Amino acid sequence: MLEIKPIFHALCRSKVGAILLLIQIAITTAIVSNAAFIIQDRVAFLNQETGYPEQDLFMFNVMTFGKDIDLSQQFELDEAMLRALPGVVNAAQSSSIPLSGSGSASSFNLKPAPQESKSIRSSYIFIDEHGLDTYGVKLIAGRNFTEDEVTITNSPTERTTNVTVVTQALLDELFPEGDGLGKTIYFGDLPLTIIGVADHMKSPWLKDSHPNNVALIPYIQGKTYAQFAVRTKHGQRAAVMKQIETAMLNNYNKRVINNINGLDQLKDEYVAADKLMMRMLIVLITILVLVTALGIFGLTLFNISKRTKQIGTRRALGARKSAIINYFLVENAMICCVGLLLGIIAALLLGQLLMQHFSIAALPPSYIAGTAIMVFVMSLLAVFGPAKRAANISPSIATRTI
Amino acid sequence: MLLHYLDLSWRSFKRTPLVSMLMVLAIAIGIGVTMTSLSVYHMMSADPIPEKSSQLYAVQLQTMDEGHTWWTEDNLPMQLTYQDAVNLQNAPVPEKKVAMMRTGFSVYLDSDKVKPFTSNARMTTPNFFNMFNVSFIYGGEWSEQQEQSAAPVVVISKELNDKLFAGNNSIGQLIYLDDYSYEVVGVIADWSLNLKYYDLNNGAFNEPEELFLPFSLVKTKELTSWGNSNGWKHENINSYADRMQSEIVWIQFWAQLDNAEQKANYENYLNSYIQEQKKRGRFAREKPEYKLRDVNQWMQYNNVVSEDNKILVGLSFMFLAVCLANILGLLLAKFLRRAPEVGVRRALGASKRQVFLQHLVEVAMLGCFGGLVGIVLAQLGLWAVRQSYDYYSSIATMDITMLLSAPVIAITTCIVAGLYPAWLVCRTNPAIYLKSQ
Repeated sequence: MLEIKPIFHALCRSKVGAILLLIQIAITTAIVSNAAFIIQDRVAFLNQETGYPEQDLFMFNVMTFGKDIDLSQQFELDEAMLRALPGVVNAAQSSSIPLSGSGSASSFNLKPAPQESKSIRSSYIFIDEHGLDTYGVKLIAGRNFTEDEVTITNSPTERTTNVTVVTQALLDELFPEGDGLGKTIYFGDLPLTIIGVADHMKSPWLKDSHPNNVALIPYIQGKTYAQFAVRTKHGQRAAVMKQIETAMLNNYNKRVINNINGLDQLKDEYVAADKLMMRMLIVLITILVLVTALGIFGLTLFNISKRTKQIGTRRALGARKSAIINYFLVENAMICCVGLLLGIIAALLLGQLLMQHFSIAALPPSYIAGTAIMVFVMSLLAVFGPAKRAANISPSIATRTI
Repeated sequence: MLLHYLDLSWRSFKRTPLVSMLMVLAIAIGIGVTMTSLSVYHMMSADPIPEKSSQLYAVQLQTMDEGHTWWTEDNLPMQLTYQDAVNLQNAPVPEKKVAMMRTGFSVYLDSDKVKPFTSNARMTTPNFFNMFNVSFIYGGEWSEQQEQSAAPVVVISKELNDKLFAGNNSIGQLIYLDDYSYEVVGVIADWSLNLKYYDLNNGAFNEPEELFLPFSLVKTKELTSWGNSNGWKHENINSYADRMQSEIVWIQFWAQLDNAEQKANYENYLNSYIQEQKKRGRFAREKPEYKLRDVNQWMQYNNVVSEDNKILVGLSFMFLAVCLANILGLLLAKFLRRAPEVGVRRALGASKRQVFLQHLVEVAMLGCFGGLVGIVLAQLGLWAVRQSYDYYSSIATMDITMLLSAPVIAITTCIVAGLYPAWLVCRTNPAIYLKSQ
């Protein structure tokens, strides 16, 4: 019915074209399945939930050069001014900025240093009781800091802070039994009691080994280089951002206000390389599939022009149009199947290679299967047009010349 | 003969314009994709200071106690502690060495003409400019004596000089950094540096700093690093003086060693330095560990070329292979259709060799066209890269090497693709085609 045997014999007579096609299909399968996996990995990375209302948050830096003020008191005044601005929901000085790629991390231990104990890496943010609300993160257990618990100082050594709010991820890692709330952890030799648990929020580094570990510590130090976070009402961020520099300088002018950026902008900058990689791979595999499809299309056209007479003869001897179409479809499917088989092996090898040399996970078989099906369908589509044209070759052509 | 072949090729190109165009397009796309990723790779891995890269060494010391690990491949911290940096800076060997770190200041003038702004600064020793081949437009580096006395002097970039002093000679002028005034002693020329190899802490492709100041000011002004500071053990740090004495690493250190002898000397010195420090209870390791890496080794060690880029280069060469297979198929079709003509030429006395060469010339011509169109496509690709990622703006470009290698790769690819079809067609038996006509 499918006339595999005669088609195979015919193929054996023009091996080169078939082999070329086979190679193309194999390489295409190998590239596309691996690239698709990397793309999917990046898409998941780029679309992950950060826990913040990124569109409503913005940050800015304050670099103070004037020496005639009490810095931490000035920042308190600034915060009050910011919170009173129309359109602002809440604002806070924040020692590091989430998603920005720059911040502080330390290990948090179950016993005071230098005693050896369980130690978990986590980012930390020095921020006051407005911190959670400013970042739009919900408290899921315990309580927030009170105003009295916040240490406000200009001295780097004043250590009266003794409480912390941590993310669920950090709590679970420190206390896998789930009894962490109320326990004490150590930041160096400083004891901090966990009084509250924050909902999901990401650390300054999305690519950190522990990106979900954040500890909020109520400690405000007046430093010449400070950062502020501001959350605005939905849709009013641009308007508030525009007036922030003037407002801050009106409060005190011996300082520089800069890097006024939305949280989504900061995140975009941090992930730009991944976005670029994703885009380049998408372009690469799109063109690749098109080139391969064109290759199949061209080769079939060429075969048909070579076999015009044979096709005419077959038609004259009584073959239906569908038989001609079938012939080319089956021929292509045969080549394609062998190509895919090689392609699957190549894809596995390439995946193995990438895994060995780069930080890329093992290629799941579903990607190879999906790619194989797609390549198969694409090749049939590419053949169908030329095959239909071949079917329209008139039987009389066989009789015209020898 | 070559001109004749070229003429024949051009006629053949015009005779089947569609197939020829398709082939050129196939090569061009392959080259465009390959060159886009290869150019970025090339610029990332290019030697930033080829005339000196094997003389400049980044110095690393193993300061951690036995059993502690770092994230680098050989467990060595990337930077030095302040005390080690100062000690090595004061060491008798080598002649040229530099301790440095990145920080920043708010910058303003006495007048109100310029609104205060912040700038990146490099705290460094005067050898910096000579070691890293930085040239001056006005003035020069500060003196060794000014370095020793932590004099308030500054070298500024051309860009900053344009901004503050409209590009005029600003030597002797005062600028305010934070709230102290500093005297400008030098303005450096534009430093077209694609790669900030001397400090890879915060991104290799950032711009160099705009301010350069004596390293000794770090201590007197109690400056903090705008780069990375890393510790490996718990230390009680309550003051800036504690920090200076701590085991936190945050200073970069480079040494210029002109020959193997100097290098051996310096290694001896480092060994004895570690032994001496051991007596003070530091470097608690069984055997002393340190590393001197030259510029290229340093870049490799810091993985300047991103993983993504290596993957892209690999994939694009595979892509080129697909294009090659495509071209091969098209060439086969084109050449075999011409068999009758070749038959006549063979009968008229053309040797197999000549027919073979003629076809290779034709293929090379296609490759050349493809390469040229490919450069245009690659430029388009690189433009898209720059649009998509600001940070790559200095490296997503083609230099002359890449511009030249595009047609070379294209022609090579095409000749590889053309070998088999050309061989096939030159074997044409003239008799058959003469008969059928």
